[in-house]
Amino acid sequence: MSSVTAFFKQPLVVALILIVALLYLGQSLSPGFASADQILRLLIVASLLGIVAAGQNVVILGGREGIDLSVGGVVSLSAIIAGNVMNGADGGILPAVLACLAAGAFFGLLNGLGVTLLRIPPLVMTLGMLGVLQGLLVVIRQGIPSGRAAPGLSAFVTQPFAFGIPGIIWLWIAIGLFMAFMLNRTVFGHRIYAIGSNEHAAYMAGVPVHLMRIGLFMISGMFAAIAGLCLLGYSGSSFANVGEQYMLSSIIAVVFGGTSLAGGKGGYTGTMAGALLLVILQGILTTVNIDESGRQMVFGATLLLLMLFYGRGRAMRA
Amino acid sequence: MSKLRLNGVSKAYGATLALRRGDLEIAAGEVHVLMGSNGSGKSTLCKIIAGSVRPDGGHILINDKPVIISGPQAARVAGIGIFYQELSLASHRSVEENICLSALPVRAGLFIDRQALKARAARYIALFSQVAGEGFHAEALVGNLRADQRQLVEIMKALVSEAPILIFDEPTSALDRAQVDRFFEILRGLKAQGRGIIFISHRMDEITAIGDRVTIIRDGETIETLKLSETDPGTVIRLMVGGASDMPAARSSAPAVVEAQAEAAISVRNLSGKGFRDVSFEVAKGEILGLGGLHGQGQSALLRAIFGAGTVTSGEVAIGGERYDAKSPRDAIRRGCAYVSGDRGRDGVISGRPIIENVTPVHYLRDRLMIARPSSLRDKAIPALEAMHTKFASLFHPINSLSGGNQQKVIIARWLIDRPDVLLLDDPTKGIDLQAKADLFALIRQLAAEGLGILLYSSEDAELLGNANRILVFNGGSVTRELTGDDRTRYNLYQAAYEAA
Repeated sequence: MSSVTAFFKQPLVVALILIVALLYLGQSLSPGFASADQILRLLIVASLLGIVAAGQNVVILGGREGIDLSVGGVVSLSAIIAGNVMNGADGGILPAVLACLAAGAFFGLLNGLGVTLLRIPPLVMTLGMLGVLQGLLVVIRQGIPSGRAAPGLSAFVTQPFAFGIPGIIWLWIAIGLFMAFMLNRTVFGHRIYAIGSNEHAAYMAGVPVHLMRIGLFMISGMFAAIAGLCLLGYSGSSFANVGEQYMLSSIIAVVFGGTSLAGGKGGYTGTMAGALLLVILQGILTTVNIDESGRQMVFGATLLLLMLFYGRGRAMRA
Repeated sequence: MSKLRLNGVSKAYGATLALRRGDLEIAAGEVHVLMGSNGSGKSTLCKIIAGSVRPDGGHILINDKPVIISGPQAARVAGIGIFYQELSLASHRSVEENICLSALPVRAGLFIDRQALKARAARYIALFSQVAGEGFHAEALVGNLRADQRQLVEIMKALVSEAPILIFDEPTSALDRAQVDRFFEILRGLKAQGRGIIFISHRMDEITAIGDRVTIIRDGETIETLKLSETDPGTVIRLMVGGASDMPAARSSAPAVVEAQAEAAISVRNLSGKGFRDVSFEVAKGEILGLGGLHGQGQSALLRAIFGAGTVTSGEVAIGGERYDAKSPRDAIRRGCAYVSGDRGRDGVISGRPIIENVTPVHYLRDRLMIARPSSLRDKAIPALEAMHTKFASLFHPINSLSGGNQQKVIIARWLIDRPDVLLLDDPTKGIDLQAKADLFALIRQLAAEGLGILLYSSEDAELLGNANRILVFNGGSVTRELTGDDRTRYNLYQAAYEAA
């Protein structure tokens, strides 16, 4: 009996049950919500969120109140960079990927340096970085026309790639496998958990704590950049603050998936389920004609509810 | 007439008796010294008098009238002022504000009377004006002061209470000679006014200089009260040590001379840093060097500094004849250092993670691993854990599922996969059970026999006497005595720890 209740208390199981329940709810509200086509579309949108959340996940796992509020800004910036570099030509995809990754790594590096060397709390550092990025977006968009996605990129994101499933979903699955491998089977992954659980003990055992933390923010920046690129492929052309919504939702996806905001506990599989869950919830809210501001309110309330649910027993500030 | 009398006061924390029986009598116009080793119950006794700990039993009488001290405020009202050894100053406030903090002068019941505050603080600042040193004035921020100056503020804070009974718990630890002399002059003035003063210090010279009577506490019991003019330091130390005073170390398995492996595992030359100064020694391969003395005399600071986790200002460390400056534990580990802390919750345990991940982090670093393959890691971790007789159900259970002693064994096992050359043990048996202690010391002696150089600091004298080939006694941050051969007795250890720094 106790093992059964333990099974149903696992965040991943809870999330999966909720996913099925929400799909059922959506189907009953609006027939066709859970059709194969629709589910594929939901999966594409969830992939975008899931990729951003992968970066958010490692930053949060690393502890010391780790959080990356600048992901939305990086997503927007990356979409614009990608659009302008490729500008509708397939030959520009590879340079665009490289440029986006470089930009994501650069802003992640700045976040990491601020948090480690200047000892700025991650919340403040990445929020400040978000402000910088938003300003930068305004500057860039004056004068330079926004670019267009290359047909190859759009096809990768929206058209079936293999077994009738679009490339981006395959990419997300690959990222899921990569994250599982990294967190469980590499020294780097074990060290992420170590600094997240007890930073001082990790330091005393020879873990390069500062380098690790800088690395985590760079990973977060690069995942956000990949998501920005794919988002351009999804929408065809970039528009201002296209990535804004990812700040809150990436955090919710991570917390939904059972990762502790205090760090050191959790994993990416749950985060994937969390991302899917959020996207389905968003779909339902759209079907019942709740607009963007209403959705944001529901998301914010969801995060607070989750904290109430998972946060019991352990204070957030470790 | 006695100012303060304690009759059979006791205090237990759970199953631990911190104070079995405290009898104490403070006369008007005397400085009464409390002496006892670490954990003997002095601090508990002081806290009971100051109202921060409620006793379980016994009676307290002030001016021969029974009182109940229900809290710090009640103690203040009853006329008790205390100097705390842990500094309790507000570092962003000025000297004068800190001095008057416990009783700020107010006007109209609401506003601070700045002039009264200044005047009151100035009287006490003036007492030390000759010795306070540069930068010490009424408006200086406490956070910008030196350690000795902060301690002076703490003394002034106790004096400003003008309480008839004053408790000074190690008030002189950071002061220089001139400051101590001035402080003693002031104490003599207070004595002349008929106040009763309780004084705790670990410096025998200070105790004989200022004390009238001494009460010795051992194992939570007040043993005896003596007039200091009618006794000598040797007697006091013998009373503190108790019946086992002449227990020689030789009875244990720690030989005085190590098998001639002349080569040094680690040598330290004139090393100074935060908390210790001018320390020099050499540890031969196969030797266990004990670091003794009272708690916090620089032993831990030295070990942490060698390991790259503290500050070194001058001097040098060489491992295997090669000089190295560890900037971080990472450097030190690469050079073959290992460090085990008694504070495993802070320095050791990666909580919530599996046992195996608590064993492997050092191995990752020393073998420059990238991929963590469970099968090969298991083969490395299990022998290391078995060497420590660690009890565990599965390598993949969280470390928190183990008892304290077994957790510490896991932490030690992490250093056994790749053998270090030097093992730094910083009170490693704190809070672990007897069986785990026995296992640990068996392993330590075995490691020494295999040629490791071992530095052992322990707050338990028996562990030092039973395992160390030599003992360096620390006092005030430097080594004041080296005990070798038959000199390794509990009596000598105490005497060296308590003599003047």
